[in-house]
Amino acid sequence: MQRMGLPLGRATDEALLSGLTTGDPEIAVAFVRRFQRIVFGVAIAVVGDPQLAEDIAQQTFERAWRHAQIYDSRRGSVKTWLTTIAHNLAIDAVRARRASPVAPEDLDALLDIVTDTPEQQALADETSARIRSAVAALPREQARALVMAGIYGMTAQQIAEFERIPLGTAKTRIRTATRKLRTTLGTEASRR
Amino acid sequence: MSAMTCDRLKELAPELALGVLPAQERARAVAHLDRCAGCREYVEQLTLVGDGLLGLLPGTEPPVGFETRVVDRLSRSRPAPPRRLRLRVAAAAAAVACAFGFGGWAVGTALDDAPAPLSAQDQGHPALLQAALVANGHEVGRIFAYPGSPGWVYMSVDLVGLEKGAGEKVHCRLERSDGTTVPVGSFTLKGGYGYWGAPAPVDAATVSGAQLLAADGSVLATAHFPPRDAPS
Ligand SMILES: [Zn+2]
Repeated sequence: MQRMGLPLGRATDEALLSGLTTGDPEIAVAFVRRFQRIVFGVAIAVVGDPQLAEDIAQQTFERAWRHAQIYDSRRGSVKTWLTTIAHNLAIDAVRARRASPVAPEDLDALLDIVTDTPEQQALADETSARIRSAVAALPREQARALVMAGIYGMTAQQIAEFERIPLGTAKTRIRTATRKLRTTLGTEASRR
Repeated sequence: MSAMTCDRLKELAPELALGVLPAQERARAVAHLDRCAGCREYVEQLTLVGDGLLGLLPGTEPPVGFETRVVDRLSRSRPAPPRRLRLRVAAAAAAVACAFGFGGWAVGTALDDAPAPLSAQDQGHPALLQAALVANGHEVGRIFAYPGSPGWVYMSVDLVGLEKGAGEKVHCRLERSDGTTVPVGSFTLKGGYGYWGAPAPVDAATVSGAQLLAADGSVLATAHFPPRDAPS
């Protein structure tokens, strides 16, 4: 960890993550401080319960710390990696706990947040801004299906029951929405 | 497993990428991705959509004292001496990344990208071991074991259709060539399906296979790693 006079708060995400493996508590604090809002935000959005969300956020940091050595930056940013860990833990918790993964009012509230275009969007990175407006541009029923599957981890069958629509319709909504967003991303993805 | 076409895979790809494809279809889709680079690329792109969606969730301040509690827990549970080693075997990184959500298909992706086992050894990295998990003569998953430092084990299991082990906690242990076994951890299957990875000591010189055990200790599936001088 290169700490030669450089404040930890200004180290890159990757440097902080790899610094976790040195066991330095100051680095651990800096790492947790930097990412706790993101990690807790994902957990609370999915599970809705603050105590459970805190458990999930804690487990997320433990996993990140345990697996810091094998994080591979080629497969995504540290932020995305942590978000994915938190999301998987949250979905597992919801599946283990509740019969219905989401309450209708929670779904609508989250959908509004995800498609909202607040002033801070100017500060957000370009990819997020594009995805946000792409979700906002979807027909409402497609956006709902996308959020139910992509954020709450609901299967097409669960979405069909929740929306009282045929299974095939639920699948079509998930597919159409996901493909539209991929097109949005595709125009900038020059990964090959 | 019955064959799956590229067209069918592309239909299922959005659900697969979002992690909501039911276990049985998922297992068949994963098998297809293991041998189809085009579909893998497609699913990867859709996975970026899922990541992007999660990126829209707003940050939320955790409860007071969260930071201190987390750091306390980390410092109490430190299992290994500090290391700065970074694994360079692509498969190693990706296989464990899978345990966090990329799903089993990424293992296949990673193995295609990975250096050949021999060249990995030339660079001083031990070769990744992998084998099919077999139950009643059928392949029910795959196990990957990395005999590095730190070593780790990763596996994906699909026991759908088998009576035992469908929704229960399962235990994994490694077998040594002298017949002894080492427990490496446990995880819970959901509807018969699950994937799991964890740090584990893997001794390349003695490890010969693995067993997946039910809660009552009965063997659900077994795996045998290929002989060391014949990397797969
Ligand atoms: Zn294909």
